Amino acid sequence: MSDKKKLSAIEGIKTASDGLRGTINESLKDEITGAIREDDKALIKFHGMYEQDDRDRREERAEKKLDRLYTFMIRLRLPGGFISPEKWIAAHHIAGENSTGVIKITTRQTIQLHGLLKSNIRPTIQAFAEAKLDSIATCGDINRNVTCASHPKQSSLHAQIFAFADKISELLMPKTKAYYEIWLDEEKIADKKEEEDPLYLQHYLPRKFKIGIAIPPNNEVDVLTNDLGLIAIIDNGQLKGFNVAIGGGMSTTHGNPETYARLATVIGFVDTEEKILKTVYEIVTVQREFGNRSDRKLARLKYTVDRMGVDEFKNELEKRTGFTLEAPRPYVFNQRSDYFGWQQGENGLWYYTVFVENGRVLDDEKLALKTALLEVAKTGKSNFLFTANQNVIISDVTENDKTVIQTILKKFKIIEHTEAASAIRKNAMACVALPTCPLALAEAQRYMPSLISKIEPLLLQHGIADEEIIIRMTGCPNGCARPYAAEIAFVGTAPGRYNLQLGGDHQGQRLNKLYKESLDEAAILQELDGLFASFKKEKITNEKFGDFVMRKEIV
Amino acid sequence: MLGENKFKILLDLVNAATKDELIWMNGYLNGIVQNHTARPQPAVAATQQANKITILYGTETGNSKRLATDFASRAKQQNIHARVIGMDQYRLADLQKEEILLAVVSTHGEGEPPIAAKKFYDYIHNNGFKLDKLKYGVLALGDTSYPLFCKTGEDVDGQLKKLGGRRIATLQKCDIEYEEEAGSWFNNVLQSLSLQNIEQPVVELITAAPKKTGKQIYEGTVLTNINLNDRGSKKHTYHIEISADAVAYQCGDSVGIVPENPTAEVEAIIATANADGNKKLLFKNETVSIYDLLKHKINIIHLTERLVKQYAETVQQEIPAARMNLLDLLKIYPVKDTAQFEDIICKMNAVSPRLYTIASSPAAHPGEVHIVAVKDKYAVNGEEKFGLCSNFLSALEENSTQHFFIQPNKRFRLPAENRDIIMVGPGTGIAAFRSFLAERDVTGATGRNWLFFGEQHFVSDFLYQTEIQSWYETGVLTRVNLAFSRDQKQKIYVQHKMQEHAAELYSWLQGGASFFICGKKDPMSYDVEKALLQIIMQQGNKSNEEAKHYLEQLELDGRYEKDVY
Ligand code: SRM
Ligand SMILES: Cc1cc2nc3c(=O)[nH]c(=O)nc-3n(C[C@H](O)[C@H](O)[C@H](O)COP(=O)(O)OP(=O)(O)OC[C@H]3O[C@@H](n4cnc5c(N)ncnc54)[C@H](O)[C@@H]3O)c2cc1C
Ligand SMILES: Cc1cc2nc3c(=O)[nH]c(=O)nc-3n(C[C@H](O)[C@H](O)[C@H](O)COP(=O)(O)O)c2cc1C
Ligand code: SF4
Repeated sequence: MSDKKKLSAIEGIKTASDGLRGTINESLKDEITGAIREDDKALIKFHGMYEQDDRDRREERAEKKLDRLYTFMIRLRLPGGFISPEKWIAAHHIAGENSTGVIKITTRQTIQLHGLLKSNIRPTIQAFAEAKLDSIATCGDINRNVTCASHPKQSSLHAQIFAFADKISELLMPKTKAYYEIWLDEEKIADKKEEEDPLYLQHYLPRKFKIGIAIPPNNEVDVLTNDLGLIAIIDNGQLKGFNVAIGGGMSTTHGNPETYARLATVIGFVDTEEKILKTVYEIVTVQREFGNRSDRKLARLKYTVDRMGVDEFKNELEKRTGFTLEAPRPYVFNQRSDYFGWQQGENGLWYYTVFVENGRVLDDEKLALKTALLEVAKTGKSNFLFTANQNVIISDVTENDKTVIQTILKKFKIIEHTEAASAIRKNAMACVALPTCPLALAEAQRYMPSLISKIEPLLLQHGIADEEIIIRMTGCPNGCARPYAAEIAFVGTAPGRYNLQLGGDHQGQRLNKLYKESLDEAAILQELDGLFASFKKEKITNEKFGDFVMRKEIV
Repeated sequence: MLGENKFKILLDLVNAATKDELIWMNGYLNGIVQNHTARPQPAVAATQQANKITILYGTETGNSKRLATDFASRAKQQNIHARVIGMDQYRLADLQKEEILLAVVSTHGEGEPPIAAKKFYDYIHNNGFKLDKLKYGVLALGDTSYPLFCKTGEDVDGQLKKLGGRRIATLQKCDIEYEEEAGSWFNNVLQSLSLQNIEQPVVELITAAPKKTGKQIYEGTVLTNINLNDRGSKKHTYHIEISADAVAYQCGDSVGIVPENPTAEVEAIIATANADGNKKLLFKNETVSIYDLLKHKINIIHLTERLVKQYAETVQQEIPAARMNLLDLLKIYPVKDTAQFEDIICKMNAVSPRLYTIASSPAAHPGEVHIVAVKDKYAVNGEEKFGLCSNFLSALEENSTQHFFIQPNKRFRLPAENRDIIMVGPGTGIAAFRSFLAERDVTGATGRNWLFFGEQHFVSDFLYQTEIQSWYETGVLTRVNLAFSRDQKQKIYVQHKMQEHAAELYSWLQGGASFFICGKKDPMSYDVEKALLQIIMQQGNKSNEEAKHYLEQLELDGRYEKDVY
């Protein structure tokens, strides 16, 4: 039963926050600092923002007697990663005016802008609102952006399944009107009853809560790394329902043995939409009541599940839903990569998956990706879908419009760029890390590209350049690029040093293990060189690198 | 020939007189006799004239005005009606009609008249007229730390003489500690006015050698020099810390620094004139090499029109009247030979010191002076140039030696420790208030402190942000209001922030707070004063006149002080 230990500070802040309002308005008025008040830092997360500061600039600014360069990161709510061309154009311009200009596609299929000054938050959110975009509940102790298998090629039922992402997102939205009052200057609601929240009550969830939906055989959403995973069960062209998996999560903490990464446990199957939504809703209420509210390190659903035991949890859930879960249905995952280049969906429409290294959409000397996507959006002839691998799909293009899009992609060398990217690079992910992430211990997205460039020659040299190996890097053990579910992972421990994790499977159904601790680049390359050599020599046909490492008990 | 009584009086007078007095009386009577023969005048008339005088002042920072008004009130006590008027307000046509004129004028720039005196100064210098009715006296304010000490006063005095005016008091030059000398000078003026007949020349009466305030030159060591502006800023504002043994100053004072000339410019000059840099010359009875002369002693940039004229005469060429750099002169109007070149540079002005408001506090930073200097930028036909001294300061290296003097500013002082203060100091105006706040912090002053600061951008230009933040957190600063002009579409300045908090601000004033402005004179200090007047009008529902009077009273009580430039 829920922990009686002293509640963590954030619990108090949430409950006292008057529907997540806190003193945010006052904080915005403080002229003397670019930061907001301590408690409000926790609250604006629920509004989709994080206070950050440019860590590269701390020392230099301190010298100049300037305070830290506080800025805010804002994360949009885009269930399933879908965005219309109009919205993309809006995001493009807002990013240009108020933020660093870089649009970051996240590992959960949405986009982030970095570097908003306190004074720019309101204008930014208002501009987003005009474009019918919002950032509600994309952070904080609440249900996050719902991910969903992104590529319609996978199934004619994609649209139908995709709709669940939206429905679930709506179902689990907080009821408070604070977001509209604070950022969009809407009238204060007179009767607080209007925003009574039967799901989140006063204190919301013990911790963030993540939901993902996968359509076998592709598991590119890494469904089992979510607190709650739904696996679509399709039987001769019909969506039968979903297998329900609970208790996934990546994060660990260096030196805290109580923390661990965990893949979700499949606990059963549900069919009708009503039952599915009910099940989702009640899993959240179980976590709300049984989750640990005194130690945030142990507050995620994965720990609740293990503390209660899967069966106990299931009983509690069924008590609440009033129906029992059916036995899980069989399903097969056989890959986790995006389908790059042009693909035709069963609906007859065309889809071009653009390779976006670490999800960073910008124009640089090498590639004018940002402008290219703007040009595409301006034609109004396609939508956009962000993938959980930090790439973007130019989607729903009719046969006739394909050439128009093709010319733009050619003109801006997007096709060249996507085709030129090696297999290893296409399967790589890195989190944001420095300079904005306050938790980063080491570089990630700024460093991964150059490391890959040093790994590519090794693969070539061993004649395994075409191997699809899932390789990921994070700047700390929180695991934002889902490193523990990768075949090769680098988890930052200190500047320039990474734990080397090996042996995850290719489909995301087995976690990797720690191979060597705190390696620098030279050591990393030396290790990989050796591993690739023996892999080339001793692999059995079609054996994936991750499986090989396990079979050989290298870890 | 004298009647008995008269003769008795004379005898009494003579017997009672000392030797000197007798000599004086002798000369005095002489004078009278001469004048009687020159132009007989009824004593009565003279007395009437002595009852009406005009006191003109030409001021930049207000000292001359202060003196002029003070003189006027003292004259009134002697039943002499004095009309006080600024040279910029003065109807120049009236000059010929003036009978008794006193001029109090300071010198600024490089020995130039204050802007407000320029019109008058130029007018009397194109001598198209005679002033033979005029009797006058000039009091010159200046500062011995400037090479052309009281130049404007000298010029005015000399020029009025040229035009036929007659002195009723010799020129008195005053250093920055001028009160005493100015006082006794005016006593003498009054004395000569009160004499039955002011026709006689009182010249010999007063011997006027300026009492030097003798400033101490400190040899300091540069401790730090940091550009306070962050990347991406349009400004370059340097925080410079200089240590010097036993340096003595008060919050509100400034430092004076004499800049070095840019080496490139110096070498270019030597090359153009193909002179020998090592050759020694005699400059102001001191032998220095040509190189050192150009590098350290004389001003070679933006020469005054007077010097350009002087150059033109030496090289005997037509040069339009405008300020120019020496190098350009040499290029466009070459010298005949090196001898001529040497002759020219020896006649140049010494480099003027520049003043920088001290940003440190004696109590908080013993043995140090801090300044905050913004790199002065201007364009000469499209090309960006930097101010001589600010650019020189920006390149000061740590541990290098830097000489400076302290420029006291009696009219910019912290009030009693328990008094509230309102400080308006955008840009480098923050200097004085960093000094005030640091002082009040360490001395634990109990008065409340309210700061208005402004700059272009919050992110890159918030000078001393972390210090201001901690003063605010620790309660040293009661209120802080900030105006960052370019962080939004419409410009916001400190005066707008004052308006925003008008009620509170006025209540502070009513509660006895002192109001300080530091920083750029134009337009900042004018706009702030305008805003202040409006606030006084609105909040105190006063008429424009009443508000003005309210402010004047504050000024008289030393509760409205400015350090603006
Ligand atoms: C942007 C993103 C990484 C990326 O490069 O795409 C990201 C970025 C951050 N994550 Fe994450 N996380 C992102 C996906 C993840 C994932 C992957 C996933 O969800 O599929 C995980 C692992 C799965 C999980 O939750 O277990 C993840 C686990 C964390 C954690 C550890 C949570 C825990 O259980 O302890 C933290 C730290 C925390 O919450 O205390 C964290 C915190 C953060 C913060 C907000 C740092 C902070 O708390 O101040 C990072 C912001 C960096 C920046 O400057 O943008 N992020 N974060 C991903 C945004 C996803 C989204 O759109 O919502
Ligand atoms: C009481 C007092 C306090 C002060 N406090 C401060 C302070 O705290 N901080 C601070 O930064 N400043 C302060 N100042 C201003 C400072 O003294 C200097 O005036 C300022 O630094 C500019 O001097 P400079 O030698 O850099 O520029 P200068 O070389 O003197 O040039 C000044 C201006 O003259 C013109 N000029 C010069 N050369 C040329 C040329 N060749 N062609 C055309 N035009 C030219 C330009 O308009 C230029 O902007 C203060 C001034 C006073 C009187
Ligand atoms: C920028 C500046 C330049 C000055 N230049 C001279 C100068 O060349 N010669 C001089 O004798 N005094 C100079 N002074 C000193 C002033 O004349 C002196 O401070 C005087 O008291 C000012 O009187 P005012 O307030 O009536 O203008 C200068 C002062 C300043 C601030
Ligand atoms: S993994 Fe760590 S370093 Fe990377 S973004 Fe997440 S919290 Fe930051």
